[in-house]
Amino acid sequence: MSKSLMQSPLHHFDLAKQAVKPDGRHGVWAGELPLAGYIALRGDSATPAFVEAASSALGVPLPVTPCTLAQSGAVKVAWISPDEWLVVCPREKLGATIAALERALEGIRSQVVDNSGGYTQVLLTGANASDVLAHCTVYDIAHLDPGKVVGTTFGKSATLLHRQDRGFCLIFRRSFADYLWRFMVRAATPYGFGVALREDASAAERETA
Amino acid sequence: MFLLSCPHCGEKREEEEFAYGGEAFIARPADPETLDDEGWGDYLFKRKNTKGWHWEMWGHQTGCRKFFIVKRNTASHAIAGSWTLAEGRKAYDAEGGAA
Amino acid sequence: MKLSSHRLKIATARIDYDRPLSISFDGKSFPAFAGDTLASALLASGTRMLARSFKYGRPRGIIGAGPEEPNALVQLEQGPQTVPNLKATQVEVYSGLTARRTTGWPSLGVDAKSLGGRFSRFMPAGFYYKTFKYPAALWPRYEHIIRHAAGYGSAPVENDPDIYDHMHHHVQVLVVGGGASGLVAALTAGQAGLRVLLLDEQNELGGWLLSQPNANIGGKTAPAWLKAAIDELKSLPNVRILTRTSAFALHDMNMIQAAQSLQDNLPLAHRSTDQPRQRLHRIRADRVILASGAIERPLVYGNNDLPGIFTASAMTTYLNRYGVACGHNVLLLTSNDHVYQGAIDMARAGIKVTLADTRADINATWEQRAAAAGIALYKGYGIAQAHGGRSVHSAQLAKLDARDNRVTGSGPLISCDAIGSSGGLSPTVHLFCHDGGRPHWDEALLAYVAPALGREKAGIYVVGAACGEFGLASSLQQSRGVSNKAVASLGKAEVATALDFGSDEPAVTPARRIFRVPDGKKEGYGAKAFVDYQNDVAVTDIQLAVRENYKSIEHIKRYTALGFGTDQGKLSNVNGFAIAADALGQHISEVGTTTYRPAYSPVTFGTLAGAHEGDTFEPKRYTAMHASHVARGALFEPVGQWLRPWYFPKAREDMHAAVRRECLATRRSVGMMDASTLGKIDIRGKDVREFLNRVYANAWTNLAPGKCRYGLMLDENGMVFDDGVTSCISDNHFVMTTTTGGAARVMTWLEKWHQTEWPDLDVYLTSVTDHWATAAVVGPNSRKVLQKVCSDIDLSSDAFKFMDWRAGTVAGVPARVFRISFSGELAFEVNVDATHGHHVWEALMEAGREFDITPYGTETMHVLRAEKGFIIVGQDTDGSMTPFDLDMGWAVGMKKPYSFIGKRSFKRSDTARSDRKQLVGLLTDDPAEVLREGAQIIEQADFKPPAKMLGHVTSSYHSPELGRSIAMAVVRDGIARKSPDGQKAGRDIVYAWAGGRAVRAKIVPYVFVDPKGERQNV
Ligand SMILES: [Zn+2]
Repeated sequence: MSKSLMQSPLHHFDLAKQAVKPDGRHGVWAGELPLAGYIALRGDSATPAFVEAASSALGVPLPVTPCTLAQSGAVKVAWISPDEWLVVCPREKLGATIAALERALEGIRSQVVDNSGGYTQVLLTGANASDVLAHCTVYDIAHLDPGKVVGTTFGKSATLLHRQDRGFCLIFRRSFADYLWRFMVRAATPYGFGVALREDASAAERETA
Repeated sequence: MFLLSCPHCGEKREEEEFAYGGEAFIARPADPETLDDEGWGDYLFKRKNTKGWHWEMWGHQTGCRKFFIVKRNTASHAIAGSWTLAEGRKAYDAEGGAA
Repeated sequence: MKLSSHRLKIATARIDYDRPLSISFDGKSFPAFAGDTLASALLASGTRMLARSFKYGRPRGIIGAGPEEPNALVQLEQGPQTVPNLKATQVEVYSGLTARRTTGWPSLGVDAKSLGGRFSRFMPAGFYYKTFKYPAALWPRYEHIIRHAAGYGSAPVENDPDIYDHMHHHVQVLVVGGGASGLVAALTAGQAGLRVLLLDEQNELGGWLLSQPNANIGGKTAPAWLKAAIDELKSLPNVRILTRTSAFALHDMNMIQAAQSLQDNLPLAHRSTDQPRQRLHRIRADRVILASGAIERPLVYGNNDLPGIFTASAMTTYLNRYGVACGHNVLLLTSNDHVYQGAIDMARAGIKVTLADTRADINATWEQRAAAAGIALYKGYGIAQAHGGRSVHSAQLAKLDARDNRVTGSGPLISCDAIGSSGGLSPTVHLFCHDGGRPHWDEALLAYVAPALGREKAGIYVVGAACGEFGLASSLQQSRGVSNKAVASLGKAEVATALDFGSDEPAVTPARRIFRVPDGKKEGYGAKAFVDYQNDVAVTDIQLAVRENYKSIEHIKRYTALGFGTDQGKLSNVNGFAIAADALGQHISEVGTTTYRPAYSPVTFGTLAGAHEGDTFEPKRYTAMHASHVARGALFEPVGQWLRPWYFPKAREDMHAAVRRECLATRRSVGMMDASTLGKIDIRGKDVREFLNRVYANAWTNLAPGKCRYGLMLDENGMVFDDGVTSCISDNHFVMTTTTGGAARVMTWLEKWHQTEWPDLDVYLTSVTDHWATAAVVGPNSRKVLQKVCSDIDLSSDAFKFMDWRAGTVAGVPARVFRISFSGELAFEVNVDATHGHHVWEALMEAGREFDITPYGTETMHVLRAEKGFIIVGQDTDGSMTPFDLDMGWAVGMKKPYSFIGKRSFKRSDTARSDRKQLVGLLTDDPAEVLREGAQIIEQADFKPPAKMLGHVTSSYHSPELGRSIAMAVVRDGIARKSPDGQKAGRDIVYAWAGGRAVRAKIVPYVFVDPKGERQNV
């Protein structure tokens, strides 16, 4: 499938056109991360066979500690609940990752669901990034240590949130993307807001990888 | 506007993240078809509506999406604790099934 | 530069004499200095009368210097930026400020109610209730005139151009109030290393110390001590300070809401459109230290509402903070020590000061200092009555008994141009009480106080004047001690402070217990003595309320209006409670207080709304094809949070024409609808079929992979609450669809059943609503269209039957294609990863071009489905309809072994009745007549109310296919009515009543088009 046929949930804002390399002129920068594969993984943390099978298929130990994030290479696994994870992987590896999971989990009580069309990610950086989050979410950002991921409110919507590359990564649903972006821009504007260059976001991903 | 401790996420979070899930421990009758109307009506409609300590369910909507048990005072909004469904049942039974 | 008539050069004043500016009030220009409030600027020019009173139209002026102000309400600015009912005492001036008074109608000089003023004896408590009670029909007119005459400000009628936002904070210690004791609290917690937030409602920290520069702390002057404390505080990185921020509410578990003013102090032209005007802070604090201070209450005496009469502390504030003399010849009246320092400051500033102390025995130090300052002191005197018109000009003193509050002799007539009184301090206990705390009456302090440790368990501490520590040194010591307790409770150790809390303030001499100053006359015969200025509540009103048998202070409040309004009784409540107690023959502690509720002071709607307005008011959800619809001129309608295409008008088409075209195109050739908004849930596990059997009314045991089935979902009452098609992907894997609006509700519902009742069932549920984009290709040519972009699925009617689904490739991307139909036509719903949604939609449009493929919206969808009698849950059902009521018994599997959700309720007597409201079709006699949705179904065209209501019209449209109107309705016993027997008895004829008209209609089966269902099977 050709990439030109694909549109991200924030496609209509044409962010690439507005994007510049982040610098000190604005307090807040944000950009949409490249299209990725998103896989909902369900199974029981307390079942070692499941945890082992999923970990080996993903190439990263499945995080079983509440609200933690596991990362290896370009694959990110976010704990959602004791029986749910969100796996984020490069789009190119989506099919292979799903296949590997299904193969490994054959016969084990579990669910693997491609949810790639349903999500996107935004990377929020800049000196006032955490102020913007204080406007948008009720979660206490001071408790958001590196390696932690939480599901919380964003305006009247919801997001997954974790620290990434001296900023914050928001993972949220496609149909709410327009609302979240607008709400975030509105909160960020008083601090000075710029759209961060996409290359930078990719570099950030590579850096954390 | 209170804080709830989610037993799955292991953190106190703001009420906005949660949704009320009704009175706890209203088990579905094992065999509804043999139950008389009064018994079925009790299950469907009767609630304690307590002023004071109340065992109830909350769902962590924006977080883990799990339902869990909270013992909350409906008059003062004080919260005595929160538990997973299974642990909550034990705590409830330890108090004699009513408070 | 020449100063205004009442402006003094005070070295310690907090205004900037080097920054003069000009403001406009009531069309007149006034000079002011940066740092002034509107009130101080107006007083500096000698302004007296600013308002007419609410009930009697009496002249009123400024009384206070802060949020307690009852009279000086102003309308700030004009047009979209206008703000009504601001207190002049809280409006910071800026260059070009424009304001006007809000009371007095038709003009300040001539008041329509001045008649009332003159005959006020005839306007007692409850006057409006009693006078305008009859006839009730005229009340709206009375109310209109009364409200107009009352003259509160006008709400803006244009859109607010300013922006607002909300901010969440999580701190260890929140300190409310940045006066001396609040600063000590913040320093104590800050130095201990805690995350501290300090709020103060004023433009700078300091509180009462800003009004008392001549006080002395630890050998330093107040300004020097203040600077040291603030510098130290600002050096702590863990302390955050917000000024111009009013904590207005305290909720459960120490959630405090505070409103911050960010730009109101700037000239309009200097305000940034990128910055919020105001911000709502929502602060969750482990510990709250309330250092909210106290507000001085005035004494109650005859004509105590004349312009030029203030609280004594307000006069002190105007002098020391703003360099304004409220008068040049001032009379002060007190029951306590608190006025003395201010009186001395006034005298030293060259103001002639006469001080009447109601006490015979007073503090010797203060007496000496007052004498040294040249103050004429009258010990044991009260004011019997003030005299004046639009300004006070004199006051009659009376000699008081040393013990009892009665007049024992006459006193001198004192000429004066301003009066200030002090009846003691009322601690600001509001926040302490918002979520259930109660203040207690302290007879020694003559005040309702919030006990310092009264709510320690809740993590709420009270320091300084708010808990009755009225002395400067003692309040600082107390704040230090209590704050250290708060620090210790968070596991931190006390850190020594370099600040010294000593003061040369004399020890406090007990105050006199006096609220109403006697005038030697029977109450009601002397001059009116006001308790509540904003609501014109006099002593006589409270006494009358008690005589009329109102005994609870809450009732007395509501009968007299004591404590209502924008000042919420900050000056009047305690006096009112005391006077009510006297009238009731009770002690004030027995009377208690009225309930303190948020907000402490008014908050703008903009602040409460924050960013939840305009295009971020509510989440708007869009599908992946939204841009395609916009490009084709769609109009949108909200469905839940989604925006769905409503219809696609072409040039000059109205909705009717567009829908007609879309319907016919779909039934004759091919149409396409965006069905992405339907809820979709991926369900997997060994027990999926059992799970579906339990949550759906129908059976799922035998649905083969590749097959789809429609299902009704019921609640435990047996009532339909959602519906949709669920498809078998593989034996252990199904995909459920839900209604657009019900998706989240269904997901939560299923999770709840799984988690609470059936955790043993091997299933997992995951919402995939956002993952799949869905294009429904509908109509006789739909197969031909799909064939052009899909080569790997055999679309022939034999290979791909109605209610089958197939996986394949559409327009080059992986797809699931479902042969299901919500229109009765041959139709295919193409599901693809939403990332490809736009591409696939456009590819299908292109493929359909030769068939004139027509995109259609929800309106056409509704017509097409109604022609087929397909229900919309929530439109044709309302939570009281069983599948049998809907005549859909075919969708109930009564033989399933598990008693599925809702099944048992079918046997309840009310659910089992045969004459329930049931879904039927309706045809009007006149094919052009389209019934109104919601029209009531009645039996007879002619009736005397109340008519027996049989049901209502749920769906009603013009059917382009049939060239006539069709409707669906729920009608009592409707199924029997349409039966041959019912027809024979004429029971199938009913009337739909709406808008004053009854329209005859015949009950018919609700499938209007293709009743045999042949078209969808081609
Ligand atoms: Zn949780």
